[in-house]
Amino acid sequence: MLLECEGFVVVGEAENGHAALRAVRELQPDLVLLDVQLPDIDGTEVAARLAEANGASPAVILTSSRDLQDIGALSGVRGFIPKSELSGAALEALL
Amino acid sequence: MRRALWCLAAAGFVFGVIDLALILTSEFAPDRELSTALGLLIGWGFVGAGLFAWARRPDNRVGMLMTATGFAWFLAGLSLSDIPLLFVIGAAFGSLYFATAIHMLLAAPQGRLQSRSEKRIVGLGYVLTALVVPVLFVFVDPERDMECVDCPENVLYIASSETLVRVVSVAVNFVGLLLVVFVLVSLVLRLLRASAPERRLYAPVYAAGVALMITLIAILVLQSTSVSNEADGVVSTVALVPLALMPYLFLASFVRARMFQTGAVGELIARLGEAPHPGDLRDALAQALGDPSLELVYWLPDDKRFVDAVGAPFDLPSDGSGRAVTKVEQEGECVAAIVYDAMLRDARDHVRAVGAAAALALKNERLDAELRAKVGELRSSRQRMLSIGLEERRRLERDLHDGAQQRLVSMALNLRVARDKLRDEPDAAEGLLEGASHELDAALAELRELARGIHPAVLSDRGLDTALETLASRAPVPVELAALPGERLPEAVELAAYYVVSEALTNVAKYADASHAVVDIGRDNGRLVVAVSDDGVGGADPEQGTGLRGLADRLAVIEGRLEVDSERGRGTKITARIPCG
Repeated sequence: MLLECEGFVVVGEAENGHAALRAVRELQPDLVLLDVQLPDIDGTEVAARLAEANGASPAVILTSSRDLQDIGALSGVRGFIPKSELSGAALEALL
Repeated sequence: MRRALWCLAAAGFVFGVIDLALILTSEFAPDRELSTALGLLIGWGFVGAGLFAWARRPDNRVGMLMTATGFAWFLAGLSLSDIPLLFVIGAAFGSLYFATAIHMLLAAPQGRLQSRSEKRIVGLGYVLTALVVPVLFVFVDPERDMECVDCPENVLYIASSETLVRVVSVAVNFVGLLLVVFVLVSLVLRLLRASAPERRLYAPVYAAGVALMITLIAILVLQSTSVSNEADGVVSTVALVPLALMPYLFLASFVRARMFQTGAVGELIARLGEAPHPGDLRDALAQALGDPSLELVYWLPDDKRFVDAVGAPFDLPSDGSGRAVTKVEQEGECVAAIVYDAMLRDARDHVRAVGAAAALALKNERLDAELRAKVGELRSSRQRMLSIGLEERRRLERDLHDGAQQRLVSMALNLRVARDKLRDEPDAAEGLLEGASHELDAALAELRELARGIHPAVLSDRGLDTALETLASRAPVPVELAALPGERLPEAVELAAYYVVSEALTNVAKYADASHAVVDIGRDNGRLVVAVSDDGVGGADPEQGTGLRGLADRLAVIEGRLEVDSERGRGTKITARIPCG
């Protein structure tokens, strides 16, 4: 909603990592926003698989303060933004 | 007032003498000696005792009612006169003294009728004796209706109606009987329910009233059953005995109370000399006043409230609660208050004398109560401080968690991403490093703000004046610093003053809708007085919300006090008085 106000178009939403991967295949978005923790696979894992499948959709991951542990490889991740700081400007700074 | 009472006394004396002369010269008065003796005893007794009580207690109507009963009695005495006009007046108003006596009995001891039913009964008594009976008298033929052959003629007589006189007489007797039964029941209930001081002082009076009512019932029953005139006469004479005793019993209760009171003060002073233990003082005063229900409460000038012996807040009883209050002062300063049975209200002077005798001991016990109140207050403020501390820690954890910590996590991850991209995507890595630098600034600013909430560094470094100037400059509402201490104060004092101003200015910004605020800090009697006022909407309540309450608790720890003056629509003034250590 916030991003839509700032000129972004939200083309789709997904409720877990696998659904996100399917949705990206179908919708081919310019940008993917992910949480670190998802119900099935981690956001970083989703970003890595997206990067392997097609490098076109950069992923930005939203963080909360407990997310530092258990984060493995960061391939496919464009950057991290604290959840409370998510804004168009913060996104544009990473793109 | 005194002159009027003396005139009444003279009038009573003359009235008695006139009655005496009329009875002695009467050609038809039965039992002349007994009537004369009892008549004078009753009349002068009521007038004398009534005037004495009236003079001593002008605000208590019992004295006036006793005097009125005496005069009404003399009025009835005129019915023994041979002079027709006096005879008619005496006979027509011959029962008025019943109404005044009943009024007096029901109004005693406080001088006021207590309930609506009592007022109705007394009103009915007056209607019967001052209106119905006199009006009926225009139909009375003394020879036929009063069976009095030698009585003078009825000068008011206008028409003969034997049936009317009979019927109305029976009705008046019946209503009179109900009325007397009501008074009897009321007096018996009062005797049974009387508090200790009431019973001590007024039981004999009530008992005489009960005896009078019983004999009146006998008279009325005998009259309506028309037994023998002889029995009627005997009972009527017997009824005079409690009536004759009544004024003297009233007088005796009054004098007895005075004597008891004088002795009690002496005894109290002696007991106080034995250095009573804390708590004994109440018992000593209760004994001195004969009121086991007596309560002693102490005035705390700092808190402007009364507390009981254990230091718990105490609200003084209101009028009509059955309790009376006498404040005890020493050197013009209120020390304590004695709360006692309202029946003793007439003995207010005595309570005051007892209080004065005990003033010094009361002052000592007040210190004890003050200490207990302070301990209790400290205990609860310590509890509140503890929970405020926990809440502050929780808030701090939340702020750190949602703010700086979140930024630092994302920054750490972004630095890892930047490291990975450094070779292949140097532009992206540079963007991430720049972003991380901004995040770091923001996190530092947040941490600085949090640290200031815990302890403002500027306060310890540069003192209260500068810290307050900083606070004022950051406030969203214009703040005038009218006066500042201009010197360093103990750290705890500076910190407390800083938080008072900080919390007050936060409230001004959040709730007051004010155009400006004024901070004024001065010294008064070894205390730092911090006042923050605004021209906003007012209506701040320290009991509502945690801000002001927490501030009061913070101040209580260092013996400080918080006052909030915030009448709705007239701005808010928060004043803290902090001992300078």
